[in-house]
Amino acid sequence: MKKQTVILTFVSLVMVCVLFFLPVLTFTSQLYTKRSPNTFVGDEKYQQARAEAEEVLKTYEDEGIRGTLDEEVIERVNSKGVTTSLVVFTIRSDRTRTFFDLLKAGLPGSFLLGLLLVFLLCAWIMTWTAGVCDKEKAKRILGTAAAGLALAAMFLVPAVFQSLNLTLSRQVDLFLGNRGTVLSETRLARLDAFLFEGQAGDKLRDMLGALAYTVSPFLFLFLLPGFMTLCAAAGESGRQIRKMLLRILLYVSVIFFSIFILYPFFVMFITAFRSNAETTDMYFLSILPQKWMFSNLKDTLDRGVLRYLINSLCIAGGATCISMLCGIPAAYAMARMDFRGRKAYLGFVIMSQMFSPVVLLVGISRLMNTLHLNDTLPGLMFINAAFNQAFAIWLLRGTFVSISSEMEQAACIDGCSVAGALVRILLPMAAPGIVTTLIFVFINSWNEYTVSTVLISTQTKRPITVGITQFSSFNMIEWQYLFTAALLATVPVVILFMLIEKHLAAGLTAGGVKG
Amino acid sequence: MQSVFVRHRWEPYLWILPSVLLMLIFVIFPIGIVFRLAFSSISRAGVVGDFAGLQNFREAVSSAAFPQVMLNTFWWVLSVVGLSTLIGFICAMVLNRPFFGRKIARSIMVFPWAASLVIQASVWNYIIKMEYGNLNNILLNLGWIQDAVNWRSSYQIEFVWECFVGIVVTIPFVTFTVLSGLQSIEDAYYEAATVDGAGFWVTLRHVTLPLVKPSLTVSTVLNIIYVFNSFPIIYTITKGTPANKTDTIVTYLYMLAFYDQKKGPATALSVIGFLILCVVSGVYMFMTMQREESVV
Repeated sequence: MKKQTVILTFVSLVMVCVLFFLPVLTFTSQLYTKRSPNTFVGDEKYQQARAEAEEVLKTYEDEGIRGTLDEEVIERVNSKGVTTSLVVFTIRSDRTRTFFDLLKAGLPGSFLLGLLLVFLLCAWIMTWTAGVCDKEKAKRILGTAAAGLALAAMFLVPAVFQSLNLTLSRQVDLFLGNRGTVLSETRLARLDAFLFEGQAGDKLRDMLGALAYTVSPFLFLFLLPGFMTLCAAAGESGRQIRKMLLRILLYVSVIFFSIFILYPFFVMFITAFRSNAETTDMYFLSILPQKWMFSNLKDTLDRGVLRYLINSLCIAGGATCISMLCGIPAAYAMARMDFRGRKAYLGFVIMSQMFSPVVLLVGISRLMNTLHLNDTLPGLMFINAAFNQAFAIWLLRGTFVSISSEMEQAACIDGCSVAGALVRILLPMAAPGIVTTLIFVFINSWNEYTVSTVLISTQTKRPITVGITQFSSFNMIEWQYLFTAALLATVPVVILFMLIEKHLAAGLTAGGVKG
Repeated sequence: MQSVFVRHRWEPYLWILPSVLLMLIFVIFPIGIVFRLAFSSISRAGVVGDFAGLQNFREAVSSAAFPQVMLNTFWWVLSVVGLSTLIGFICAMVLNRPFFGRKIARSIMVFPWAASLVIQASVWNYIIKMEYGNLNNILLNLGWIQDAVNWRSSYQIEFVWECFVGIVVTIPFVTFTVLSGLQSIEDAYYEAATVDGAGFWVTLRHVTLPLVKPSLTVSTVLNIIYVFNSFPIIYTITKGTPANKTDTIVTYLYMLAFYDQKKGPATALSVIGFLILCVVSGVYMFMTMQREESVV
């Protein structure tokens, strides 16, 4: 047997034992509350109420149920300037339970917990057997099976968590709500035994009344021994299994990360089609909209969003045109011609990436005032084009440099002008790079927000990024419309971006790396 | 240099003229204006007065919120750039291996990069609302929590959320730039490493990292600039409240300039931010130009 196998399995064994006997589940049941209004600490009414509460506490204690008496004083000054005071007495019974108690109680959630334990146990035994076994084939089979079991145990952890949470809440809720379910006597007894050591008896209903329970996230620590066992099993089972396990790990993490990345977009999508009442009400809300309100789309478009989309299209389109018209010749000159100041200008272009429009907002708004471009779409076009120049030149130059100049030189010898060589020969060859740049500049201008908020004051001239904020006024936010508009603004951009993603990343660094 | 024939010495300048003009008018002029304003006295109505020396700077630096704003900016840049670089690098390593569905994973990765920051910030703003936010909704539905959790109980926590959103939206940029660097590494290097018996970590340290270092530097420096200048996330989620406690320089100067109408201190802050970035970009440019030298 390998040394690491011994260590790993032993440590995980110890961990499981410790986890099983640590009091990690906490339950708080509120046995009694008494609100005593117009009571000040120490006065007669207070004494009376306190005595009453202590009486109740004593009756519970007589039955062997420990509880603590808390008092909370809420003081308030009313409109007449008189201080009023409210004293709340509560008797709480806090108890902690271990996973072992849970297993012993035999509540439905504990079935999976038991299964988890059995899986781990089998995995350990198999790993050890594989460790002492001599035959290569048997070793592999046993190791694989052990790894599979350990993996299954790991997958069981969230299932146990989920099941415990739901089981407890559902059982207690149903029991209290009397919603047609009859909890069998045995199950009630089990619940009683688990929560109150069987001492609640007839009082069970009262005591469950304000039961707050948390299944501790400690449960997820079971993942650790699971993982260790997995490693140990993999260590005993040979290369192939290790590869397979890595693969599984890869897929699991990729899937989780993808879900994480897509989550806000999922939220945007579902919220866009909720009704107004649903967006601002959390309780009893289903994950998906109860009724898909496709009319939200039409409503949003009617409320000016169509206008904003057209504005955005104009701004982004115009900015892209200007940026390309200025950028292509410049990039061409920098890629193909040698002149003094070439390096200086290239350096300036690199530097200019740090000139964010946000920092220069005050200057920009003043400049626009003097140019009479304030509150106009062309103004935004120019700003966006100018601040994307660096990218445009960068990406285009990288593309041009990567294409051999032989064809152009031949064309020039044949009497073609430099401009002719650019348009007829280089541009068609550089088409992918140009499209990438085009789309990138377009998206950047489409998403631009800060300058537009400052420069645009007329409502009908707003681009979509600014336009969506109209749905969030100070005291009311119409989330569903905000998100429908956001959806309309996002979908085209994401699709466009997917098309260029591959070329873009290469271009962004290639410009810097290849020179 | 693969040159084409140029007939006149001034011809190249003609080619770059439109671009120079565009940059001159819409980038250089505003910079000039900001610098001029920073050193002048400005009335609340916006009328520019005389040269005021460092008066505006003194006013900006001595305001009560300034230390907190600087500290926030520091943490904001450090946490967002640092963590997104780390996570983005890991993502790039994963996406560089062939596996089933890699294309789909890459397409998914594009989402936070492509979508507008305001929109993503609005969505996260909705998600973490206590009363009806989607996070509480989903956790309640799953039964993982029994009561709505207040995910933004203090401004420190809100600032952490803002950093979190910043990290999420920055990861794809790092991932794709590093990925393009990784993909340009020839397999021969890895084969050689495998032949030499190098394990995963050794290969990572001695083969992968040195070879992706150029793309990693480019992405990190660009990231520092973008994150420093990032405005919509903080503006959408907290607007710098309470009392500028969650502001970074950029949002703070926006508020100063356009809400409080204090153009003087605002432009002074612009200049300060500008100088900070100058140092960063100067280092960056120095490095790129050096590389340029060695290749051209």
